[in-house]
Amino acid sequence: MNETKMTEQQSADFFELTFSPLDVGEISRRVVPDVCGAIVTLDGFVRRWTKGKETLFLEYEAYQPMALKEMEKLILAAKEKFQIANVGIVHRLGRMDIGETSVVISVAAPHRRAAFEACEWLIVELKRTVPIWKKEHYVGGEVWIQGESTT
Amino acid sequence: MKLLFFGQTAEIVGTREIEISLDFPVAAETVFSDVLDKYPRLKANKLLFAINEEYANGAELVSDSDELAIFTAVSGG
Repeated sequence: MNETKMTEQQSADFFELTFSPLDVGEISRRVVPDVCGAIVTLDGFVRRWTKGKETLFLEYEAYQPMALKEMEKLILAAKEKFQIANVGIVHRLGRMDIGETSVVISVAAPHRRAAFEACEWLIVELKRTVPIWKKEHYVGGEVWIQGESTT
Repeated sequence: MKLLFFGQTAEIVGTREIEISLDFPVAAETVFSDVLDKYPRLKANKLLFAINEEYANGAELVSDSDELAIFTAVSGG
């Protein structure tokens, strides 16, 4: 792999919060480094059924400036940990209906394996450290979801 | 000093932001425990604390210009 070009691509990483619908294809393909041969993209969307309970819609909110800082930290850490060239993370906020995309993580790498591993690591860490919360509105009630682990 | 709440903690406290006046500087945990005493329903949650947009453990000294936050274990994604 060409280390010089990998370095040049660092500035193309992106991390965003938006209240608008996400265009997964655009986010996935926004940065396509010449040194790369694969992009692994996670399209996380609103699930209707969770353990037999029916979700109607979700509401997301964030501590926005801190969330952006934590997203940036995750990207830097992922690029230390994996042989990847570029990362983009976009999380949507506000109300989302069933099937609507809430988060997109896109990892470009010279070879696919590192991109798969980095993408999985990034979503696990995002769900653990980035200050975003979802309120689940389900048939019969509503509840703020609390994460499994603490930082 | 500004103290921010989000999601579940904002619902419990009934507001997203409160202003706190104390004899600064003070350990952050003093501020946090005062708030937990004032809003005991917070204690039923897995809570995280932040100072100036960074995770904190409470040992930090804080002053009037700092921004603190109390929120539940995060659930994005």
